[in-house]
Order: sequence, then C-alpha cells, then structure tokens
Amino acid sequence: MPKLKLPAPPSNPLTSPKRPGKEYGPSGPLGHAEEAGVTAVDWIDERTSLSGGLRWGMFRKVPKGTNWFYTLGSSTMFAFLSQAVTGVFLAMYYDPSATRAYASIQYINNEVFLGEFVHGMHRWGSSVMVILIFLHMGRTFFFGAYKYPRELNWVIGVALLVMTMTMSFSGYLLPFDQRSYWATIVGVNINGTGPLVGPYLSEFLRAGPYFGATTLSRFYAIHMLMVPGAIAALMGFHLYLVAKLGTTAPPWVKAEAPEKLREDKVTVDQ
Amino acid sequence: MNKQEKEQYLRDYGTLKSQGKPFFPYAVAKDGAMAIVVMAVIIAMAIVLGAELGPKADPTSTTYTPRPEWYFFFLFELLKVIKPPALVPLATIGVPTICLILLFLLPFYDRGPERRPERRPIATTAGIFVVCAIGYLTYLGAAAGPPTEIDIPIPANISSQGPEAVTNFKAGSAVVAQSGCAACHQFGENGNSGPGPALTNIGARLPAQAIQRTLINPSAPMPSFSALSEESPEQFAQMVGFLAALK
Amino acid sequence: MADRKEPKSKYTVDRKTPGAFEGETVTRRRVMVVAGQAAGGVAAAAFVLPSLGFAMGPIFEKQDQPWQSVGKVDEFNDESYVPRTITLVEGIGDAGKSTVYIRKYNPQLDTEPRDEYNKYIAISTLCMHLGCPVRFTAAAQRFICPCHGGVYDIVGKVSGGPPVRPLDRFYTQLEGDAVVIGPRFSVNSELQRFSPRDPGEPLDGVGQYLYPSRPSMRKIEGT
Repeated sequence: MPKLKLPAPPSNPLTSPKRPGKEYGPSGPLGHAEEAGVTAVDWIDERTSLSGGLRWGMFRKVPKGTNWFYTLGSSTMFAFLSQAVTGVFLAMYYDPSATRAYASIQYINNEVFLGEFVHGMHRWGSSVMVILIFLHMGRTFFFGAYKYPRELNWVIGVALLVMTMTMSFSGYLLPFDQRSYWATIVGVNINGTGPLVGPYLSEFLRAGPYFGATTLSRFYAIHMLMVPGAIAALMGFHLYLVAKLGTTAPPWVKAEAPEKLREDKVTVDQ
Repeated sequence: MNKQEKEQYLRDYGTLKSQGKPFFPYAVAKDGAMAIVVMAVIIAMAIVLGAELGPKADPTSTTYTPRPEWYFFFLFELLKVIKPPALVPLATIGVPTICLILLFLLPFYDRGPERRPERRPIATTAGIFVVCAIGYLTYLGAAAGPPTEIDIPIPANISSQGPEAVTNFKAGSAVVAQSGCAACHQFGENGNSGPGPALTNIGARLPAQAIQRTLINPSAPMPSFSALSEESPEQFAQMVGFLAALK
Repeated sequence: MADRKEPKSKYTVDRKTPGAFEGETVTRRRVMVVAGQAAGGVAAAAFVLPSLGFAMGPIFEKQDQPWQSVGKVDEFNDESYVPRTITLVEGIGDAGKSTVYIRKYNPQLDTEPRDEYNKYIAISTLCMHLGCPVRFTAAAQRFICPCHGGVYDIVGKVSGGPPVRPLDRFYTQLEGDAVVIGPRFSVNSELQRFSPRDPGEPLDGVGQYLYPSRPSMRKIEGT
C-alpha cells in the first residue's frame, strides 16, 4: 500500500484570533493585569457557565415607563442586606442569656468602637425596612401588579412581609430592657389566645410555662438563624420570578405596536 | 381573566418590554441611587437617634407601662378598641389572621384584567381604606398616654387665679392619676375610653358638689372614694377641685 | 385503539413485563421509585424529627414550683394588699422573679370556701388580658392594668375592660408563723380553681376546653 502523506496539522487550533488593536499582545503592566482578569473570569465561566445567567438577569429589558416606584423592592432588599451585615457583627458581642444580655448591649453601646452606631443602624434599619416593604406592597397593590402572571410572586411577597414582622418582633426582645421584656410577654400571650393550639404555641415560644433561662436564646435563634434563612431563600425565589416574568409597566402606559409592525398590518388588510 | 385576556396581556407586555431599556445599567442605576438614599436615612437615624436602651427588664415592676415598637401600634390599638372580653381572641388572633388570609389570597379573588387603579374602584377604595385605618390606629396608639399619668394643660381661668390655684390643680391632677381614675375614664389624651364616661370636661357638666357626692356614693362598678375623703380630706378636696376645673 | 380501553391487569405477567413471574403485581421500576422516595423521606425524618422533639421538649416537662416563704403572719392584714417578690424561675436572676399581692382571707370579701390553701390570698400581678403588669391602687380599691385598660376589683374579679378572667392566684399555706407561697393557679369568674392558663385564655363556659391545661403546670390535685 502506498503510504499517503498525512495533511499537515492546522496550526494550533486552540489559540483564539488576536483581539483587534492588540496584535502585539498585551502591552505594559496594565494590559497584563487586564489579560489576567479576563483569563480568571474565563476560567470560572468555563466551569460554571454563569455568564449566561448573568446576561439573562442583567440585560433583560424593563418595560417602557419604569419609574422610581420600581426601586422600592430593591431598596427593601438592600435594607435587608444592611440588617444582615450589621446583625452578624452585633452577634459577635451579644450574649443571649437572661442575666447577661442587657449588660452585653450596654457594653456594645458604651465600650465598643462604633458600637452604638452599628446598633443604631440595626435598630433603625428595621424600621426603614418595615416602611419600605409596606410601600413596595402598596405599589404592587395599586398598580395591579399582583395579577396574572405574577400571582405566585405576590404570595411569596406576603410571606416575606410576615417574616419581616416576625423579625422585628423577635428582635426587640434581645436588648432585654423593660420595653423588650413586656412587649415579648404580650406578644407570646397573643399567640396563646389561639384556641386549642395557642397554649402549646406560647409554651413553645417561651420554652416552658414562664419566661425562663432558654427563652432568650430561643428568640435569638429564631431571629438570627431561622427567619433570616427563610427570608433569604424566599427573596431569591422572588427575584428569580421577577427576572423571569419581568417587572410590570405602570398601568397607565399603553402598549403601541411599533411603526413597522403597524405598516405590515395595513398591507395585510388591503 | 379568561384565556383571551391573558394572551392580550402577554402580547401588550411583550410590546412594552421590547420598547424598554435594559435592566443593566438603566434600572440598576436608579436602584443604586435609591439604595444610597436608604443607607443615608438609616445612618442619619443611627447618628441622630442613637440606640438608647431603656431600664433593664424587671418582671417585678408594677408601675411600668408597656408600649410596643411604633409599627405594632395599630395592632396594640386594635386590642384597646375591641373591649368585650368575649371578643379578645378575635382582636388578638382572629382579625389579624383573617386580614392575612385575605392578603395572601388577593390575586385569587381579584382576577379582573384591569390594572389601572382608577378603573378598579372596589380594590382601590379597599386599599385606601386599609391604609387610612392602619394610619389612624397607629396615630391613636402613638397618642395614647399611660393611664397612670394625666397631662392636661392648665385652664386659663385657673392660671389667672394665681399660683396657689395652679399648685392645687397640679396636686389634684396627681391624686387623680395615682388613684387610677384613668383606668376607666378618659382625660384628654390620657386614660381609657370606658367603662366610665370621659371626664375631659366633667366640670362643665357637673358642679363640684355633685362630683363630690358621686365620688363618695358612686353607682357600680365605680369604687367609692369615701376612704380617701376620711383619711386625707386635703387630697380628696384637691381631687374634687381638679375635676371641677375640667371645663 | 380499542385495546387501550381494556382495564390493565394488575399482574405483571399479564402485562408481559420482562422477567415477571406468576402473581407478581409490582414492577421493578415502581419498587425502585418507591424505595428512592422512602429512603429520602427516612433520611430527612432522621434529622427533622429529633430536632423538633428537642425544641418542643419543654412543653411536656413538668416544672417544679417550690414553696417559698414570703413573710411572717403579722406582716399581712385582711383589708389591703402587701406586695412581695417571689422567684418563679431559678437561676436567671431578676428575670425569673415576679410580684405577688398578699392579704389575709377576709370573710366579708372572699366568697369561696376556706381551705388549707387560701388562709392568705396571693394574687398574681399579670393582667389576664395579655400579661401586662397590674398595680393595686389603694384609693380606688382596684387592680389597674396600664396597657389596654383592664380593671379588677379587690378580690381580683374583672370590673372593666377586656380581661377574660379574674387575676391568677397562688396557693398559700402556713408553716409555723410564716406564710409560704406555692404553685400558681387560674380561677374562673366564680373563683373556682383551674390548672394555670396563660393570660387571654377564658375559663368560663367552653373556655376551659378551648384552652386546655398543659402538662408543664397543673393545679394541686383535689383543690
């Protein structure tokens, strides 16, 4: 058999074509740094394909007429992030025990560098978040944005509202001053007035028939682990649905077919 | 919404969306600006209002007046408004649960295709009513003073009678507050509206002698203050004087 | 398409499933599906159930209420109340204490029959509307709650406002010349004793069944 000469292999097929304007490779340290960044992002994207999702989420269009009312949802989320971060750092100094909680808060307020500031941010941040979530719900209600196809997102939103109120309620026991203590007693007893299950529910919240040694840590766990975890998860789902279904246009904005389509329609009619 | 209306909505929405701008960077820029405003407000509140801490929790206290955080004022006031004991579970659990269920199920009973608030009269009216009701209850809750304190401005005819009359008025006010009258009667913004009648201007309705007679010989369930009149007639006189001056 | 409407046999042999044998009714695929779901369920239950039980344990634990002395006999009278601080929960300092109003049994005021537990009347300071602290106002001879306007008369019965039952009480006994205070109990509007309930839970009519007593605290048997 005569041996056929193999065709020459193509010159390295894996090298991508040179970027325009960069024929001589990266120039200078800045160029090298840029190249390194691009390579790192590429490396991650090759293994995760995140860029597709990012493009889907970030470069989707928001409808015509979108105005400042549409920032209320994202600012609620921003207030939540602020609460989460300040809360994590407050937890570094806080001690959830009935005998030492008040002293630890006093220590945060009086001794820790920026202590009263961060504590104040967490405290007033909760008020701001409650206001924002109510405004966001009002916007959704009056714009009719809960209607088809966004029913499920409204239900998730109401769940988030309930959890936000749970957070505010479980949070204000923690400083353990007079207001905290009595508001919690009243709140727990309110749960107790539900027929049949109520008495057991209030006993569960208090961890016993009286406000006891583990009541405070129970509220602490609810406040900083259970509810925030659920809020974060539901918030993610809420955002996914927003990106998938799109934000509504203000109800008074009329949909007009683009010029070109209208012309086409006229020709068909004739 | 029937199938046709749903398709119509999706078509219109598709058109509007295609005419819109990309989320990044146009909407993100607005969101970012709003986030800065939110953080500025939080930081300003943290600096100006601080994080004051009340006195340490004391379950043995019998003089503390518990009040919730402002955003629970409307629930707090709801508990005050609904008086009959039989309706307590309704105020604590019933009404909030029903409201919450109505809120959860809103998209399932309001299924009309119309979205403009002015063309949804029932929904818009209900929404505005709820906002006003919550706002009003919050205001009432914020204005409610504890029943162990009475602050009524000194009437002009008292302050014109000289410092002694003013001192007597203040002393009478303190006696009335400590005697727990405000648990059943309203004095201006203090006290409870019931079971007794409001005493904000009792002096205009009853002369001092009638007030004194009622205090010593009241109709049930009001307690008699004859013990006070015997033990410390001075305080009793201040009490009567204060009530008679409320015009 | 006619054979589609015939009812399918439940036996795998009749359905011509490969490897089927006489009398077998479940396919292997179905077994695997059920087994997979069951395994996941068991594994999840293995961490959910113990944790839930752990969190709910205190509901079913009986709490001891030790008797504690609150003073000598001659410190109390039968006309007005004397406040005393007692410890409800040990080990948490002030947070486990509470104030109790105590007076001697007075046949002119108290209508309930006398027995060994009510020679002295000890009244809890938690409002039976929602648990705010009530205060005894001597001038008005009333217990007054600062929260939602509850008012009680001198024996603790409701005389106005939203509270659903009279103020709770504590068992009292005499030990020598000391008055000792024991567990708490609730009373209905006729001042009959019931196992302690939380505030806001009525005891008249069907109330005692709608708001059951809990295993953690019971009244003394036979009182």
